[in-house]
Amino acid sequence: MSSDSERFAEAEDGGPQPEKHCGHGRGGMGEEVKRKEDQRFITGRGNYVDDIKKSGMLHCELVRSPHAHARIEDIDKSRALEVDGVVAVLTADDLLEYDLATMPTLMDDTQDVLVNDKVKFQSQEVAAVIATDRYTAKDGAQKVDVDYDVLDPVVDAADALEDDAPLIRDDIEGQEDNHCLDWETGDEEATAEVFDEAPVTVTEQMLYQRLHPAPIETCGAVGDYDPGKDKLTVHMTSQAPHIHRTLFAQVSGIPEHKIRIVSPDVGGGFGNKVPIYPGYVVAAAASYVLEQPVKWVEERSENIQSTGFARDYDMQGELAATEDGEILAVRTDVLADHGAYNAVAQPSKFPAGFFNIFTGSYDIDTAYGTLTAAYTNTAPGGVAYRCSFRVTEAVYLIERMVKVLADELGMDPAEIRRKNFIQPEQFPYESPTGWNYDSGDYEKALDKALEMADYDHYREEQQRRIETDADKLLGIGISSFTEVVGAGPGKSCDIAGVEMFDSAEIRVHPTGNATVRVGVQTQGQGHETTFAQIVAEELGMDVDDITVEHGDTDTDPYGLGTYGSRSTPVAGAAAAVASRKVREKAKAIAANELEAAEEDITWDRESGEFHVAGAPDRSISITEIAAGAYMNKPAGEDPGLEAVNYYDPPEMTYPFGSYIVVVEVDRETGEVEFEKFVAVDDCGNRINPMIIEGQIHGGLAQGIGTAMMEHVTFDDNGNVTGGDFMNYLLPTSMEIPNFETGHTVTPSPHHPIGAKGVGESPTVGSPPAIVNAVVDAMAHGGISHIEMPMTPDVVWEKLDEAGLAADPADAIALEFDGQWSDEAADD
Amino acid sequence: MTDTREITLTVNGTEHTIEVEPRQLLVHAIREELDLTGTHIGCDTGNCGACTVLRDGEPIKSCLMFATQADGSDLMTVEGMEDLPEAGGELHPLQEGFREEHGLQCGYCTPGMIMAGKALLDENPNPSEADIREAISGNLCRCTGYQNIVRSIEYAAEELEHGEIAAADGGVAIDADANADGEFDCGVENCCGGPAAEGDGDGDRGSDPASRGERR
Repeated sequence: MSSDSERFAEAEDGGPQPEKHCGHGRGGMGEEVKRKEDQRFITGRGNYVDDIKKSGMLHCELVRSPHAHARIEDIDKSRALEVDGVVAVLTADDLLEYDLATMPTLMDDTQDVLVNDKVKFQSQEVAAVIATDRYTAKDGAQKVDVDYDVLDPVVDAADALEDDAPLIRDDIEGQEDNHCLDWETGDEEATAEVFDEAPVTVTEQMLYQRLHPAPIETCGAVGDYDPGKDKLTVHMTSQAPHIHRTLFAQVSGIPEHKIRIVSPDVGGGFGNKVPIYPGYVVAAAASYVLEQPVKWVEERSENIQSTGFARDYDMQGELAATEDGEILAVRTDVLADHGAYNAVAQPSKFPAGFFNIFTGSYDIDTAYGTLTAAYTNTAPGGVAYRCSFRVTEAVYLIERMVKVLADELGMDPAEIRRKNFIQPEQFPYESPTGWNYDSGDYEKALDKALEMADYDHYREEQQRRIETDADKLLGIGISSFTEVVGAGPGKSCDIAGVEMFDSAEIRVHPTGNATVRVGVQTQGQGHETTFAQIVAEELGMDVDDITVEHGDTDTDPYGLGTYGSRSTPVAGAAAAVASRKVREKAKAIAANELEAAEEDITWDRESGEFHVAGAPDRSISITEIAAGAYMNKPAGEDPGLEAVNYYDPPEMTYPFGSYIVVVEVDRETGEVEFEKFVAVDDCGNRINPMIIEGQIHGGLAQGIGTAMMEHVTFDDNGNVTGGDFMNYLLPTSMEIPNFETGHTVTPSPHHPIGAKGVGESPTVGSPPAIVNAVVDAMAHGGISHIEMPMTPDVVWEKLDEAGLAADPADAIALEFDGQWSDEAADD
Repeated sequence: MTDTREITLTVNGTEHTIEVEPRQLLVHAIREELDLTGTHIGCDTGNCGACTVLRDGEPIKSCLMFATQADGSDLMTVEGMEDLPEAGGELHPLQEGFREEHGLQCGYCTPGMIMAGKALLDENPNPSEADIREAISGNLCRCTGYQNIVRSIEYAAEELEHGEIAAADGGVAIDADANADGEFDCGVENCCGGPAAEGDGDGDRGSDPASRGERR
């Protein structure tokens, strides 16, 4: 683990200041460098798991339960084994022989790899068919005869906690109901006192519905055991290859050095590819036993119906305030659906993730939150879908409640935020639930967003439409969110016991270029470019002379992977610190090459060279020094020019921003159209503005999907009714507007290059802005909340409730005066 | 194994005769029989468009067609883009556009998007933003929010138009970014020759591509 001296190594020149000296023309910090990874993707030369083809490779198809809750009476493999080309049919009994019938979840629950006794959710894995090709494997899967004793399912968390609910987890000793866990944060008594005495209180119930990350590439693996080397290689869609290797070793008993996890190109992750799924285990186990490569790749319906869902928090929010809008306390009570197993993917000491950051961007002294989680007959999950462990739910809660309070008090929602923001001079700020915010300037971001959005104009236009009884109402929504990202520190955050640090290793080669290996893994974030830029900045090298590698546990330094916006805050810091270690060694060589005393050598960030103090024309670059390190090393120095850093962050980072959404709501149809979408983000010092903007666009689109379209739904029999792309609707190019992005820069004081991480801010920050906008359009009709997804029928019902809906029949009647007008006919 | 049929597919200008099962999907034939893995699979229901290829010039979702149904067809996949005359032996302007305008992140939807863009530009060389959005509406992207994909296709339309003008002239096609030797400009306000800030209210980038600073 890095010592403090390493962590803050250098800074002798103040560190990078990208807003002032962007990149120096070498592709360093602040430059919009074109992505290095693009070439292979635009030419069809990417290498995703399903692209892998091995000699003698077999295919695995999983047999899944059509029932949500059922006891398995019998599994008959015989008809499947008769299919020409079927090599093996595996059930729990077969896995038991190898002690692989169960696997631990990331929250220390135990999940069946293949169902041993009782099915607990629809599409749960019951058997596996291994065959010579994917079609034959499917033929075999259809001929596995499973005899089910169907039980009553329960798919709703509140129903699951009723006394007469069927018991789902009879496999846990002593478990008598569907209660999973309780959690609380803050000061119950103090909060109750504030609420009792507060002049104003507001309350709202809101469901953050079940979502699925739904990357366009599903999950998959190729298990490839080499009996000659006694080594198991698993190519898999993994956001965290190293921790997956450790878990594979722990579960299988195969020594960790005999396992290699390779995460090749990954077609989007968004938290979906953090957990371990039964398919990975089966593909690896089958390869080990059969001594042949085995490929398993999900279909889309399998992906949505059985792998980690996100959210599913039913939240009550309460605010206590003064009459002029000062927020005095916040209180929340949550009912969480954890599915059939407790498989939430978050640091183990945080059963509700970072949900206790629900005081948001506001200086609120008093807070209290409780949560109860239930088991249901639904797929396990609670993954951090493009978010840092439940910060999304927390931000939704507080940003929605601030709007509810503003409407209750008749205050402008921008004004009430300004009144309650944590002020710049209050940082580092300790929140009432124990978070230490690093830095922020919330008002600056809000002001910028208001100006970009032409806020005052839209407020006037909104009023005009109300007064003229216009067909389309206007709504303006604001969200001024604060995120918490970049887990560790290791002392408080771990995954399956492994502390959440991350790593970077730099090797400068004799001819002056470098290879960088990192412990995180990209799924589209652009690491091969971003990390090269950090090293280019710190070593004064050209970004084209640096190659970044990742995703192979045999060659990369150990790290905890990419999720929770932790790559830049943690591995980015490691890359900067490792660079500074390289520079430290390079300094000695520079002194030797320049024939000067080491204490006379200074680093000049602008030119990216060492100079001799007082003789600026005597300078040398890292590229030139590299040759010296290998070919003319100073006496007493070790050869080579390499460094590695394992970075344990001292604190998390707190990116923030203000989003403003203007919508038009059609009073006839309930349709919502985006008139304006402004996003001002502050992620500290910016490494590649182009990549940052791209990430923000993508996250905003996912936020729109969340607010308007996406929901994994179930019927009472436990059938997933939102379980494929016909029924789980991802936004297309037709639903997503153009975004206007802006930024402010408030560097993180504890990060070596002042960066904070950005990938998840837009997914976290935008849903409340969108809901606030639609609510705002009908607030004058007394509407205080609308549940997501806000499909036209949901919105129309609310318009109707507020007496604002226009009857489509009226509009038609206006056009119809005995005969259709030409205009109406054309429509 | 059930019976097989012999079919002929011309893919990216090369004729292939392969044996397939009647039930084999075209996308599997392309990926697994012909080893052209640039064409991807994302949903199995025809919704995501990751498997988009051109069949006799028309964009199709190759997961919704059996390989035998495509017997005798002329197919084009992303791997064929660099061989087109517009590519001039390098990247096709559409591929270049996706890189220049940051139209991709994880890259999984990208080949399908490029083929959908190719079909559009073949039909309509000067598409409006609305035309582009409609043309790619059958292709899902989970990473980019589509805005930069639209820009990427606009970039290609412009490049292709310039190329044609030059060719009609009988001259050499001019690279629109020929001022590569000009002063470096990182695009950030008040920096490296980037635009001067006109006030705090300015956004990072306007919707007009010309207003954006030149990138590396």
